[in-house]
Amino acid sequence: MQKNIKIYSILFLAASLSFTACKKDYGNLNNATVEDLSKNASQSELNNLVSGTESGMRNALNFYLDDVSIIGRETYRFSGSEPRYVLDLLGANSAQLTGDNFYISFPWAAKYKVVKNCNLLIQIAGNSSLITDAQKKGYIGFARTIKAYQLLLNLNLTYTNGIRVNVADPNHLGPIVDYNAGLTAITALLDSAKNDLSTATVSFPLAGFAGLDDAAGLTKFNRALAARVSLYQKNWQTALDDLNASFFRLTTNFNTGAYHMFGTGSGDQLNPVFIPQNQTGEVRVAHPSYAADIATGDDRINKTSLRTSPAALSGLSSDRDVWLYTSSTAPVGIIRNEELILIYAEANIQLNNFVEGVKAINVIRNGHGLGNYAGAVTQPALITEMLNQRRYSLFFEGHRWIDLRRYDLLNTLPLDRPDDDVWSLFPLPVTEH
Amino acid sequence: MRKNLHHLLIWLFMVIFPISLFAQNRTVTGTVTAGNNAPVPGATIVVKNTSQAVASDGNGKFTISVAENADLIISAIGYKTQTIHVSGNSLQITLAEDVSRLDEVVVTGLSTTVKRKNLSNAVSVIGAKELSGTAPAQTFDSALEGKIPGANINSNSGSPGGGVSVKLRGVTSVYGNTQPLYVVDGVYLDNTATSGGLNAVTQAGATGTTSTQDNPSSRIADLRAEDIENIEILKGASAAAIYGSKASGGVIIITTKRGKQGKTNISLSQDIGFLRPIKLLGVRQFTAETAGSLSRDPATSAALTSQFTAAQSKGEIYDYEKEIYDHTPFTRNTVLSMSGGNEKTGFYFSVAQKDENGLVQRTGYDNTSVRLNVDHKVSDNIKLGLSTNYVNSSADRGLFGNDNAGVTTGIALSSTPDFAQLHPDAKGDYPNNPFAASNPLQTIALMQNNESVNRFIMGANLDVILQKSNRSNTKFVGRGGFDFYNLQTNVLFPSVLQFEAINKGESIQGSTKNLNTNYILSLVNTFTPSDKISLTTSAGITQETGDYNNLLDVATQVISGQSNVDQAGALNATQLRTKYLNSGIFIQEEASIVNAVTLTGGLRLDRSSNNGDVSKYYYYPKAGISWNLTDMGIVKQGLFESIKLRAAYGQANNVPAYGSKFTAFGVSNISGFPGLLINTQEGQADIKPERQTEFETGIDFSLLKGRLGFELTYYKKNISDFLLLTTPPPSSGFAQEWQNAGNLTNSGIELGMNARPVESKNIVWNTSIGFWLNRSKVTKLNVPPVQLGSVGGVLLGEYQIEQGKSATQIIGLNGTGVGVLGNAEPRFQMNTYNEVTFFNKLSLRFLIHWKYGGQNVDVTQLQNVFGGTSVDYDKPTASGLPYGVTQLMKVGSDAHQTVETSTYLRFREIGLYYTFKNLPVSYVKSVTVGASLNNYITITKYKGYDPEVSNFGTGFSQGIDIDPYPSNKRAALHVSFNF
Repeated sequence: MQKNIKIYSILFLAASLSFTACKKDYGNLNNATVEDLSKNASQSELNNLVSGTESGMRNALNFYLDDVSIIGRETYRFSGSEPRYVLDLLGANSAQLTGDNFYISFPWAAKYKVVKNCNLLIQIAGNSSLITDAQKKGYIGFARTIKAYQLLLNLNLTYTNGIRVNVADPNHLGPIVDYNAGLTAITALLDSAKNDLSTATVSFPLAGFAGLDDAAGLTKFNRALAARVSLYQKNWQTALDDLNASFFRLTTNFNTGAYHMFGTGSGDQLNPVFIPQNQTGEVRVAHPSYAADIATGDDRINKTSLRTSPAALSGLSSDRDVWLYTSSTAPVGIIRNEELILIYAEANIQLNNFVEGVKAINVIRNGHGLGNYAGAVTQPALITEMLNQRRYSLFFEGHRWIDLRRYDLLNTLPLDRPDDDVWSLFPLPVTEH
Repeated sequence: MRKNLHHLLIWLFMVIFPISLFAQNRTVTGTVTAGNNAPVPGATIVVKNTSQAVASDGNGKFTISVAENADLIISAIGYKTQTIHVSGNSLQITLAEDVSRLDEVVVTGLSTTVKRKNLSNAVSVIGAKELSGTAPAQTFDSALEGKIPGANINSNSGSPGGGVSVKLRGVTSVYGNTQPLYVVDGVYLDNTATSGGLNAVTQAGATGTTSTQDNPSSRIADLRAEDIENIEILKGASAAAIYGSKASGGVIIITTKRGKQGKTNISLSQDIGFLRPIKLLGVRQFTAETAGSLSRDPATSAALTSQFTAAQSKGEIYDYEKEIYDHTPFTRNTVLSMSGGNEKTGFYFSVAQKDENGLVQRTGYDNTSVRLNVDHKVSDNIKLGLSTNYVNSSADRGLFGNDNAGVTTGIALSSTPDFAQLHPDAKGDYPNNPFAASNPLQTIALMQNNESVNRFIMGANLDVILQKSNRSNTKFVGRGGFDFYNLQTNVLFPSVLQFEAINKGESIQGSTKNLNTNYILSLVNTFTPSDKISLTTSAGITQETGDYNNLLDVATQVISGQSNVDQAGALNATQLRTKYLNSGIFIQEEASIVNAVTLTGGLRLDRSSNNGDVSKYYYYPKAGISWNLTDMGIVKQGLFESIKLRAAYGQANNVPAYGSKFTAFGVSNISGFPGLLINTQEGQADIKPERQTEFETGIDFSLLKGRLGFELTYYKKNISDFLLLTTPPPSSGFAQEWQNAGNLTNSGIELGMNARPVESKNIVWNTSIGFWLNRSKVTKLNVPPVQLGSVGGVLLGEYQIEQGKSATQIIGLNGTGVGVLGNAEPRFQMNTYNEVTFFNKLSLRFLIHWKYGGQNVDVTQLQNVFGGTSVDYDKPTASGLPYGVTQLMKVGSDAHQTVETSTYLRFREIGLYYTFKNLPVSYVKSVTVGASLNNYITITKYKGYDPEVSNFGTGFSQGIDIDPYPSNKRAALHVSFNF
């Protein structure tokens, strides 16, 4: 027995020793981590970050477009399960926009997630010794351009409530800056990206940048965005200069530009703003004024389609579906030549170059089945015409609300119910304070 | 520390002495009976100071061979233990019933037990009769409801297949695991809720294929209640510290039935029954005028009016709620069990099959289980026990709950008026529902949401007596086992469904493999230097591992009639793995002084691969004292049978969730290019477990020879460094960040009373009454208040973790701003379990449960108001407006109408059983017939389907009510034969 005990005790001690030696760290079994990539990322890993960035730009796109289009009275979003589209966003009764709701928190967070990815791409590309300096510049130029674009979309929503620009360190976020400072920072980012791209080699694939996917092309895309920002800053001449360096063409190639692409591949996304015609329950319809105000013969009526029966909710109704995207994989424009033509028109009108302004407006009108502009050639009249063309050309692409805000014309938007309101800006998400 | 431990282990061996065997020279027979002369089968007869033991047979008889002058210890569950001196060859032993259950043996360590009268904690024990012998529930987890003082147990919904949230002594964690650890015969069970991927269709959670709102069942539901002998509930760290890093939610120790020496017992029982909905909400009765008022657009309004009149003239007005839910589905359950054994080997075998249809067509639950428990004595010193259980269960759960796409049954119904035409035409084609994104009749008829599980649980138990002498006894106890299951989720939405216009058919196939293993190796020494003192020392090592692997394929554009994921135009695959290894070392010392004072001290050291620092040991001490005043002689036995004061202290923890230390990239592809996009969750490299410290104290006393017993307990739990998924400013790029964010406390009282008010020759009435309440408070929070469980933010009410406030407060718009509108914590709960036995043959058992106070976020009824279909929409109000309109006008300024008190009084179980004995056929020992009602009567003012609801799953956010599968009540007839 004593002998057995010795054996037992030796076994037991051996077991407990081997046991205490056994500690495990399984690492992350599911996905790549920031720590892994920060060490020395390869070109293919960096390319994955680029594709993730391009892909991530599509997240919450539907919320952004619905926000801007509903307040801008371009569309209604009727949802049996989500009353806030017809209550809060339209200011029904005493409803207000608040910072704890999806309509601001989802798009805001989605854009900043892409900003974070861009910041990581800049940092990780900077740390990599496996790529050339020119390649590095390519990644950084792309990242800065996209970062600027994402910041601009958030600033469009929160307007004078501002945005946070310096967000690289999650534990020490920079201050919230006001609208003008935000635009200045975005311009500066775009300019530094342009500078990066001037000596860059682009060694990564892009999905929605057909014809713009090399360093020169990305520079053109960068300048197109810069033109939009210059417009918001009322820097009319700068806007024209930016257009010159962009893919702007005063022709009817309206759809040249950069796009969000969609697909059915694994891990890919479907177009989040596609809803088939004549749905019930979940529908997106054009505001009745879209068809009521459109000029006869304007082919842009086809951006909507007549429903077999009207859709109605909460005292609102419409008989036309939004039919801008006709399939679940239809691309959504980031910036297109049609917008650049209208920027050209606007900047020229503002600079009193009415001839160039009217010329651009006529390119748009003729391209959509309308005759030449025949109204008064005065700045106010041309601005009205230009805004009207922007309304129809850029329908449901996120512009009308911002345009009317720029011209202090939000009070001209129709109120469908007695107690409705037109908001001029979104509050910051509550979690941002 | 490690070195010291080894010294200690060596010391343990130093006290070992050789085993001396007793000479055996006499055979005695005996009969064990209870007070009313009824035989007590299954009583254990142990020869004192030996390991020699037998059990009494079905007639209470036993045979044992003993030495001269031996003492026998006779014990049986529910009776007081007796020690008798052997005199003569035939013994007649009458056991006294242990009304106050003082002699019940309760688990206190990983390998030690103690009698209740010496226990320093309030440990609840549920026996087989209370668990499944009154009115059996559908699944094991729902069989716990209303039975555990100190617990807040809540069904998630009425979906077939279970899903119950169990919170012991308040919320013990906010984002960590709030559920207790389940240990079955020494095996740690996995209770992960695995989503079938419904979120891809319902979009209830913001993004992704899965969300916590997918209403999966809990895996603990797989167990069969019929196999369970008893359940012990360690409610907090003071009792459960020795379970270490998994014990912060409490531990539920389940012991299954085992074979005993004696004649083989065969039992066959058959239940048949039916379900009914507990409640239907009713629907709005439309008129031509109210139908028109559904739209303010004149043309639409006119169209609706004419639709209504057309439907009315054809008699096509339907109550769809009734049509969908008002069914009486059939249930059946068959259990065949056998148990028996000889002096060396005992076995328990059962095979059980259950098949239940759900209230909604094409939903239901079935479960087949086989269990074999074998105990074998290799020698007098070596005992081996094996428990094996195979379970095959399948649940068709339907499509219910929250939804942002208008597709779940309840949400679709909420906007569908009675004049809508949803029925299929002659060809079987369903029309589109013009009032919602889906036609619920079509969805129910064609969709599928099935979970099926194949599970194998095996536990082994080895007891080896290493040394035995008059004063010292040392044994090795090894326990371990594994729990393996394969879970298939099969979710299918054919392309013809109304809401499949974009995706053109979806098939979501999930496959989950999970393997949990655990073992405990320990040495236990009992040292009795004198009659007055006894020391039990135990020490050992533990290890637990888990390996979970979930593959989820979402196929869209599925070829008509097909469900395989390759029969589709597009396929999206996700995989989620988690893996952990926890290892611990424990030592525990129990000292019993003059059988009246029991002191317990223990320490557990634990580390986990989920912690930020994987090599760091966290230590968890425990200590307890119980002081029995009557056994001590301070209070004379007389009026009081026993008075005991007790206090206990302990710590336990909750390890961080797997992966909380990493900041990871998710996959986000575009046009065939693989993409990496930062996840919304920021990792915390130095994440620590959350630590719970509990102190409890109480007094237990029994009067009138145990006919009246009281157990009064006060506890206070502090949870420090509780884990919180905080919400950093979203401009950081992250939506969530794990943090050890603060401290919270729970304190409460538990009062229990056991009584036998009536004890006569023909009638015995046993009753127990429990009363319990808990209050929580967040005492420290390092981050701004965090909101959780939001259906519609403050608009409808949500939880907010806030310093200085109750952890379970519900905030919302209060008319003037945002304020506290309620609290999920009940003010108190009470229960009473009663058994009245007439003539020893007829038994009436019932369980009543009263939950008083506590609020739910009830969106179900308001959803119907939004859809214009609530039953009281047109009810006139003082303001002249219809009631529904007044409710709508409050939305946006006042959320009181959705934060609703969920008080209820529920007759959980009522059962009446009659046992026929002395049957004409000799091979049938007895036949029991019975009838039972489960959840049949509920008294509540709650407006939703059931005040007991939790549509956001088993996590923190309890009591969210958003169009769940309506709860059911059950009625059944039972018959069982004993051979």
